[in-house]
Amino acid sequence: MSVKFEITNMDMKLGKTLKLKGKIADDIDGFAINLGQGADELALHFNPRFNESTIVCNSREGGNWGREQRDSHMCFSQGSEVKLSVTFQTDEFKVTLPDGYELTFPNRVGHSHLSYLYVRGLHISSFKVD
Amino acid sequence: MACGLVASNLNLKPGECLRVRGEVAPDAKSFVLNLGKDNNHLCLHFNPRFNAHGDTNTIVCNSKDGGAWGAEHREPAFPFQPGSVAEICVSFDQTDLTIKLPDGHEFKFPNRLNLEAINYLAADGDFKIKCVAFE
Repeated sequence: MSVKFEITNMDMKLGKTLKLKGKIADDIDGFAINLGQGADELALHFNPRFNESTIVCNSREGGNWGREQRDSHMCFSQGSEVKLSVTFQTDEFKVTLPDGYELTFPNRVGHSHLSYLYVRGLHISSFKVD
Repeated sequence: MACGLVASNLNLKPGECLRVRGEVAPDAKSFVLNLGKDNNHLCLHFNPRFNAHGDTNTIVCNSKDGGAWGAEHREPAFPFQPGSVAEICVSFDQTDLTIKLPDGHEFKFPNRLNLEAINYLAADGDFKIKCVAFE
């Protein structure tokens, strides 16, 4: 299981939930989960950062980052096993963290379909869309 | 066939098991799971044919090395049904890949490319992947 993981041609529609299980790598500053249409078209960039003790979320259109949203509910630690779910709704993404905390991020790009998933810093043991 | 999900950087190692669960379309003719290094280096092309290319209810397996197909292997077992959920488990070592079918039947396919890791998974055809796990 790699520290980088990429899926293209995924078929994730509005209302669907992505569930990820994995282990955070030991020697990293943070990890990231990107969802969208491609590396330059991200509806959700979810990026917990250990060095800043913050979860940074953002979007990316045409390669340009949008405005960051920061949340101080940092409940992750290096080397730990985590379970996360991301629900894709018309107006926002709802990310449920391992401790049950819910974080939301607006669906700025307004897509109704996600085809791209990229995960960095997390050894994925399973993923599921339903 | 519509192009399905493609996963890269899997880094699946010998001894580990890849479990794929998905839905077989109600009008399924055929589906494909490809595993290997990339699209031109496949240690396993796994192609259950319900009714395609002159085959009925047969699993056709092959490998692809540098874009060139190897010799086809046909497996008579066919525990797949259109409109159902199917789960396939694949593990490998230096000599063989072991494929476990939804009914528990197992068969082996030679690891012709001697890959040390499987990094690429692609689905195609009448099968929609819902869940992938590495064990």
